[in-house]
Amino acid sequence: MEFTIARTDLVRELGLLQGVVEKRTTIPILSNVLVEASSDRITLTATDLELGIRCSCPAKVKKAGSGTIPAKRLLDYVRLLPEAEISVKVGDNHWANITCGRSRTRIAGMSRDSYPELPASTEKVADLPAGLLSSMIQQTIFAISNEESRFTLNGALMLLKGDGLVMVATDGHRLSMSERPLDTGGVSGFRALIPRKAMGEILKLTAEAGADSTIAFSSTDNHLFFQIGERLLISRKLTGNFPDYERVLPKEHPHSVALAKEELKAAIERVAQFSDERSHAVRVQVSAGELKIHSSLSETGESEDSIAATYEGPNVEIGFNAVYVLDFLKACGEPSVAFHFKDAASAGEMRPAGEDVNYTYRYIIMPMRI
Amino acid sequence: MQTIFHVDMDAFFVSVEEVFDPSLKGKAVVVGGPANARGVVSAASYEARKFGVHSAMPLRTAYQKCPHAIFLNGHRERYAEYSRKVEQELRAFTPLVNMASIDEAYLDVTGTGRLHGPPLAAGHKLHERVRRATGLNCSIGISTSRLVSKICSDQAKPNGVLWVVPGTEARFLAPLDVRKIPGVGKKTEEALHLCGIRKIGDLAKLDEEFLERRFGKWGLALAGKSKGLDAGGWFDSSFIEAEDPKSISHEHTFDEDTAERGRLIATIAHLSEMVGRRLRDHGFFARTVQIKLRDEEFHTITRAHTLAQASQLDTEIFAEARALFEKNWNRKPVRLIGVHASNLEESEGQANLLDQGTKDRWRAAMSAADRLREKFGDDSVSLAAGLQGRFRRRVDETSTQRLEPEKKDKPKSSG
Repeated sequence: MEFTIARTDLVRELGLLQGVVEKRTTIPILSNVLVEASSDRITLTATDLELGIRCSCPAKVKKAGSGTIPAKRLLDYVRLLPEAEISVKVGDNHWANITCGRSRTRIAGMSRDSYPELPASTEKVADLPAGLLSSMIQQTIFAISNEESRFTLNGALMLLKGDGLVMVATDGHRLSMSERPLDTGGVSGFRALIPRKAMGEILKLTAEAGADSTIAFSSTDNHLFFQIGERLLISRKLTGNFPDYERVLPKEHPHSVALAKEELKAAIERVAQFSDERSHAVRVQVSAGELKIHSSLSETGESEDSIAATYEGPNVEIGFNAVYVLDFLKACGEPSVAFHFKDAASAGEMRPAGEDVNYTYRYIIMPMRI
Repeated sequence: MQTIFHVDMDAFFVSVEEVFDPSLKGKAVVVGGPANARGVVSAASYEARKFGVHSAMPLRTAYQKCPHAIFLNGHRERYAEYSRKVEQELRAFTPLVNMASIDEAYLDVTGTGRLHGPPLAAGHKLHERVRRATGLNCSIGISTSRLVSKICSDQAKPNGVLWVVPGTEARFLAPLDVRKIPGVGKKTEEALHLCGIRKIGDLAKLDEEFLERRFGKWGLALAGKSKGLDAGGWFDSSFIEAEDPKSISHEHTFDEDTAERGRLIATIAHLSEMVGRRLRDHGFFARTVQIKLRDEEFHTITRAHTLAQASQLDTEIFAEARALFEKNWNRKPVRLIGVHASNLEESEGQANLLDQGTKDRWRAAMSAADRLREKFGDDSVSLAAGLQGRFRRRVDETSTQRLEPEKKDKPKSSG
């Protein structure tokens, strides 16, 4: 195999693959990128067996063929090359010869024969607007559980209704649900669990492709396929039963208060400096005309912030994990938010507020008993 | 300068048995179980001790040494009741009382001179009060530190009061064997003997740096202890702090080693219930659950897991302990099994979204079960899984059944 390629193209595509290159060396070949050259393109593939990315870009192919090269080492090296054409030649001994201007390097590769075969996609389920999908991922990804033992919560539920797309994530303490209207082309009732890592990679790939691009989404029994322009992301589905999220969503809340997002965020960030390092507990007190956030550490100090609010209901004090509240405020795109609640023991809810909000974004947080 | 009393009940379990059956008085009595059973001696009367029987000795060995002794299973509830009576009496004497175990306590009586008189007179007064209230004998050690008072009460036994006059601590300790220092066990004693240190006085003469080089942090503590200071582990904590529990645990030694999964799991269930009950009693929520497994070869492992949310529910502690057991049991017969809860917090913390209803129901069930147990006894309610795992509780006079302060710096083996 022999080809030349622009350094920019190679660095960009290799960069997009790094996230799925196996960092541990349990299976050595997974540290390598599979390079295939044919006619006027090269295709680069990386996988950790859970997730795979296949990229493609134009190149001048002198001799078609394929080989595998250590992905990180290759990127680290070509990044340091000057902006020019890079020539790559892989011989029968699997060594890759890389030449650029007066720089010459040989990197030990491995035979492609032992590189795993990626699953092939079947027919398309739906077209998804890239901007819409990535915005929904951003609104939910932070609520995914970090506890590996709760594997059904290590990803988000994606649900295609006839007229909309729903994404839900929860770690058992809070739940984030985003729903957008979408013409799914008649597909209804499709559901799948997308692993967190795949969601992160979709964010990177859509950022590269642009918000206006379209994602061709397809699925097999075990895998999900996201074709984003010339790049394909393949993810193993998470198995297991995602919790019945509709049961968890509160039907109604007796009280609510509207707040300016930035003001609330700044207040919580300040007060949380004086919350327990592990629990991040702060007390939220709502009383007539005012919302107070308070936190104290007996040995360190205490802090309180007060925000004027339109509220007429009874005095309520609820403990929350400040990090959970801030996660929502960072992900919410609107300038004002509504906080709905009942009492110190019941789930609270936050939503974007305002007349322009034409989508559903609900964030349910369980209180802390403090 | 502090004045500390160490009150240690004399042959506590045996003495309590004597209250209920006076015919036992003056006889060799061993509490722990039948002479041919597998367990160890919990307590022995002074008559039995004359034959070399002591607590923690296997019952069979005790039988060989003293075949005419009366072997009793013992009555945990009676000991607990009498321990409460003793505690009540001590608290009536002075407010700063630290029950170190079921049968011993430290009292800080600093500054009570005008009320109780000089230390020795106060000691006799308390000694008489305890005897009058409970009919039991105790020994009291008095000094300026908890450590010296503890050693002192041991020297005063049986039924004595001993005061080490301030300033004479080192002279009092010097002729005693190093083994008398609380925390010095067989291993440390051997290591010290290897350096030619046999008496506490030998230890006191040594350079602290040498001890630190030889035994690390524990060496420094030893140097302090040899001079009569409260140093090392629990003795480092302040008097009141020492009340604050760091962990709660229960363990069980099987009469016969067993590899029967059902029985082991049932025992874990029962131990988890006991731990849960104590957590609720004290208003604590545990973040970490640990199990302890000892096999027939005395090979012991402990494995711990930290929960996402602190808990005091038997079911959650059991689920965690069981998972740890399934993961770590090597299928060999088990001699001892234990469930340990630590990382204690005073509030439950983050509530759960997905099992709200379930958890509330369990919480209500546990509190109802606690009320039943209070009324009808500990075995009146149990998790179904724990029914097969019930065992007669063996009480050990030497190790505490109460909340244990964490032993911080004592090495597992020294040298």
